[in-house]
Amino acid sequence: MSQARTKYSNTAKLLTVLPTIFVLVFVIAPVANIFGKTFRDISLSLLRSGTIHEIIWFTTWQALVSTVIALALAAPVAFCVANFRFYGQRLVTSLTGIPFILPSIVVGVAFLGVLPSTLHRTAFALILAHAYFNFGFAARMIGNRWLQIHPYLDDAARTLGASPSRLFSTITLPILQRSILNTSLIVFTLCFTSYGVVRMLGGPSRSTIETEIFFRAMQLGDVSGAMLLSVVQILIIGSLFVVSTRFGSRDSRRASAPTISRQRRIDSTAKRFVVGLASLGAIGFTTAPLLAILVRSLRTSAGFTLEGWRSVATSTDLWRGLSTSFVYALGTLAIAVLLAIFASTATVFDERTAAFISVLTSLPIVVSSVSIGLGVLVTFDTPPIDWRGSQLMLPLAHAMIALPLAVRMITPVLQSIPAPLRQASSVLGANTWQTWRNIDLPIVRRSLVSAAAISAAVSLGEFGASSFLVRQNNETLPILISRLLSRPGDILQTQAFALSMILVVFSVALIFLIDTFDDFTPTNRAASDA
Amino acid sequence: MLEVRAITVEYQSKPLFTNLSLTINKGEVVALTGASGSGKTTLLRCIAGVESIASGAIFLDHKDVTNQPAHLRRIGLVFQDNQLFPHLSVGQNIAYSLKLKRVDKKTIRERVEQALELVGLKDLASRDVTFLSGGEAKRVAVARALVAEPRVLLLDEPLNGLDSQLHAKLLKDLGELIRDRGITTLHVTHDQDEAGAIADRVFDLHQLIS
Repeated sequence: MSQARTKYSNTAKLLTVLPTIFVLVFVIAPVANIFGKTFRDISLSLLRSGTIHEIIWFTTWQALVSTVIALALAAPVAFCVANFRFYGQRLVTSLTGIPFILPSIVVGVAFLGVLPSTLHRTAFALILAHAYFNFGFAARMIGNRWLQIHPYLDDAARTLGASPSRLFSTITLPILQRSILNTSLIVFTLCFTSYGVVRMLGGPSRSTIETEIFFRAMQLGDVSGAMLLSVVQILIIGSLFVVSTRFGSRDSRRASAPTISRQRRIDSTAKRFVVGLASLGAIGFTTAPLLAILVRSLRTSAGFTLEGWRSVATSTDLWRGLSTSFVYALGTLAIAVLLAIFASTATVFDERTAAFISVLTSLPIVVSSVSIGLGVLVTFDTPPIDWRGSQLMLPLAHAMIALPLAVRMITPVLQSIPAPLRQASSVLGANTWQTWRNIDLPIVRRSLVSAAAISAAVSLGEFGASSFLVRQNNETLPILISRLLSRPGDILQTQAFALSMILVVFSVALIFLIDTFDDFTPTNRAASDA
Repeated sequence: MLEVRAITVEYQSKPLFTNLSLTINKGEVVALTGASGSGKTTLLRCIAGVESIASGAIFLDHKDVTNQPAHLRRIGLVFQDNQLFPHLSVGQNIAYSLKLKRVDKKTIRERVEQALELVGLKDLASRDVTFLSGGEAKRVAVARALVAEPRVLLLDEPLNGLDSQLHAKLLKDLGELIRDRGITTLHVTHDQDEAGAIADRVFDLHQLIS
């Protein structure tokens, strides 16, 4: 091994230390603790309970149906965006990307606003909200893969005798197959582990594994039962993640960027009708729940009023919630971006380190936020590490949840910097730190802003881990919204909708900030990963 | 017989060429040359039916096919960059048109073997097309087009990007293949030597515009 290579490998190893310690302490240790306690102390008899069977069955089938519906809604959007150039295309793409970046609790609140009260607490409401949350993401994933199919492949099939339907069944669908399967697995996983939406729309009668973990740990005091369910959940998601990763890597071998776009001008009335219908449908479906939040923030049973907004502006409690959320968001972005810089930079120096970082930063994806919250709660509960009430615990937990996204925003940019640039800097006398500061940092700066924005967005909307870790004096916006909605009273409800609207505005603003600075929006990033 | 009668083709609402006419008799091989961007490839795509024309008409065996969709024309097109289906093996690529016609499996197997032998790729039927060399991929593209038994074969710069040795070998093989089978062919190339090597007649695109 050359001296330079040894030096780079050593630098890479050094850089992985900090992210490894954080993931080890705040993700791996809590999860290991849950597993250890479950297999050592807890009776598995709970798994034989009829209620638990029902919950696991409901979690599974609602996730399956939600996935099918999300994909069915995504298909026409993906078809139109991948195959045509049309007026308003950018609007359709941007708008349909919004639901996926909204805090899950806001999606739940939105459907409380848009659906009649008779449909609240029903499987239908849950499934519809899950489909809403995921359809734009699915459209982006499948649409991006579709765009990669060279249009001349279609032409080749046509000259060989393929009619439009045979072209679709023999060429398009088989090529898209892995992307569709991969997307389905991701959407299924998201619906399976959905928490905020289920808490808002499911109620006590419609529990999933995720909400049952919370219910048992925080309301029944059955921490053992919660841990057992958490283990079941992690094992299921872990398996799905492995399968999904395999699909992703197999598909990428076949993907190649076409030299010409397959998006063509619409040349017939029939196509215009199809594109118009799909676009208007997608825009309507995306915006209606958001408008419902706005309307419900301005309306009580007595009519339209600004009382909800006025009380948000004047209530000390709500202001404290707002400021707490923003302080935590700042803390989260500081921790997540710092760790992401270390982790991403390490990937540049050494391939084996890159593989290690990829696995390390995937762990918080496999472990749901509720499990992270529960794990932290049961791990840091005895002196000298009784950190449950610490103000730092929530930003740390949020940072662990944001870390995979932040790393995936910074790493591709750092890896795209040609090695000769750094070598040239080295030859000119710069040491590793000077090279990083003068070459890497200016290039990666925009991605750092994006990573900071996405980390802040994750923190602002995070509900799962927060449900376990907030105390009365540090309630975040999602917790406040949940608390307000659980109480009777028109004004409290309008306050909850007003706070949700604030979250919508901040989330969308942060995503537009990311869009301005970086192509790697969460949906794009996930789509490109897939 | 292929007749292109006074066609006008537009690109981004501007005419790429106007009043272009060309006739190729049955079994004849015609080569078409022209500068890059002059519209040679577009002309082939219009004849194949995958691109539309603004005016004029295209006749195949005296029948107007101007408005006929590509999949019904039976015109073979070998693309400059082959466009092999990446999810299908070499054999499956060649068998594609036969499967669409629901030809029985035994016949498909025989025809694929014959085609592979014809292009010198025996034993490569199960190979993943993404692992083929440039020359192998080109031969598969030609075999795939020929198996469909096209009434006219369109070759779009078929030997572009190959090294000189392979270029000469494939040019010879291609010429023999077309001649032996008497396939009506329109061969587009920017290489004058290549054009003269297998064609009965050679035109510059501008000569065809009135």
